[in-house]
Amino acid sequence: MKTQLTLRVNGAPRDVPLSFVGRRLLDTLRLELGLMGVKEGCGEGDCGACTVLIDGEPMCSCLLLTGVVEKCEITTIEGLPAAFLTRFSAICAEYGAVQCGYCTPGIAVMAAWLHAGGTELGDQPISKLFAGNLCRCTGYQQIIEALTALR
Amino acid sequence: MMPTVSPVLRPSYLPPVELHRPNDLGELFACVAAGACPLAGGTDLVVWASQRGEPRQLAWTGGIDEWHIVDISGQQVRIGAAVPLSRIARSGELRSLISAVIEGASVVGSVQLRNQATLVGNVCTASPGGDTLPGLYVHDAMVDVVNAAGSRRSIKISEFICAPGKTNLAPGELVAGVTVRGLGPLEGSAFCRFTQRNALDLALASVAARVRFESDEQTVAQASIALGAVGPTVLDAGQAAALLVGRTLEPTQLRECANLAAECCQPITDHRASADYRRQLVRALTEEIVLAAAKQVTAGCASVEAS
Repeated sequence: MKTQLTLRVNGAPRDVPLSFVGRRLLDTLRLELGLMGVKEGCGEGDCGACTVLIDGEPMCSCLLLTGVVEKCEITTIEGLPAAFLTRFSAICAEYGAVQCGYCTPGIAVMAAWLHAGGTELGDQPISKLFAGNLCRCTGYQQIIEALTALR
Repeated sequence: MMPTVSPVLRPSYLPPVELHRPNDLGELFACVAAGACPLAGGTDLVVWASQRGEPRQLAWTGGIDEWHIVDISGQQVRIGAAVPLSRIARSGELRSLISAVIEGASVVGSVQLRNQATLVGNVCTASPGGDTLPGLYVHDAMVDVVNAAGSRRSIKISEFICAPGKTNLAPGELVAGVTVRGLGPLEGSAFCRFTQRNALDLALASVAARVRFESDEQTVAQASIALGAVGPTVLDAGQAAALLVGRTLEPTQLRECANLAAECCQPITDHRASADYRRQLVRALTEEIVLAAAKQVTAGCASVEAS
């Protein structure tokens, strides 16, 4: 009988105990796989701090049960290309787009999606595409300026 | 002084949900018969399960292949129960067919939530303020219901949703999809909602309208209007829409129609807005949205974009 669940996380197969099938993906990534870049903010899908890419599309890992994404490619901030992260950090520093940094991993994952050509119909502005990522201290102006420069 | 420990369990430490992953309808019905709650996108259910501890048993519907299908045949569109809102909102083909539904689907939550949440989930949640619902009402949505014996029935959406959070789904039945009537020639539809912020917010009031013109492109041949968040369910403002039929969309006609829509709605006063404010919103939004639907015809469906 199967005792392990094999996930594909950041390009590599990762085994987790079968008991994690019904746990939130957020908990599996943080508690079992030690990927602490995935943050828990609200736990209700409002704040976007737990954003990960599922087959290249951003989703809230607090609203996904682990078993649901068994066959998907899961990407957390830890799995984003180093060159992208270097550029993202440099631009954030330049525009002052990070203060406490708690919302930043979710924003970085969204930025990677945007960078890879992700958008919605009608070429939405960044402020609209990032409406699901809340920030409580830096200020949206700086974040939007940085993301515009990155795009 | 020692900090007191909160009696509320941290969501992360709740015991795991029992998750079933059926591969076909037969297995799904078996799970539901054993007490599992069907799980589509999970944007509501997983929050309830991880914060209130209920439900404890879920059956994921994503494994049912036929529920992932979006089928367009002529003017009819059928959307399967596992289709996420983003797939609908990003479809250029659907945009010209079911504009009012698309406009609703593209304002639900955020990019992340639209990638998870499903249209059928929005229908089954049956919130009076569900953003896709007024659009589905004016597009004459039929809810396709199946039971374990394999028999199917189609229910008009206005009869399917009966009260806030309540539907007429019988025990042992599941919603397989919704079928909507797309726009024909000389026809347009639109949806708009009013919220305090632009994202992740619930509508204080929302309006969808559908207008079909005579061949002169000026006289209204048929019209329907649906109002969201101003009654226990989405309301069909049929009387208000009827005022437009046989007339042209002059400002006085529009005003009369919007006034009647505002009169026939049943808003409540709560912490988010007063009933009177909601009525004023319905009046303003109705005028705006009837015109937006009409403009789709006169502008030759200019809103068609590449998917």
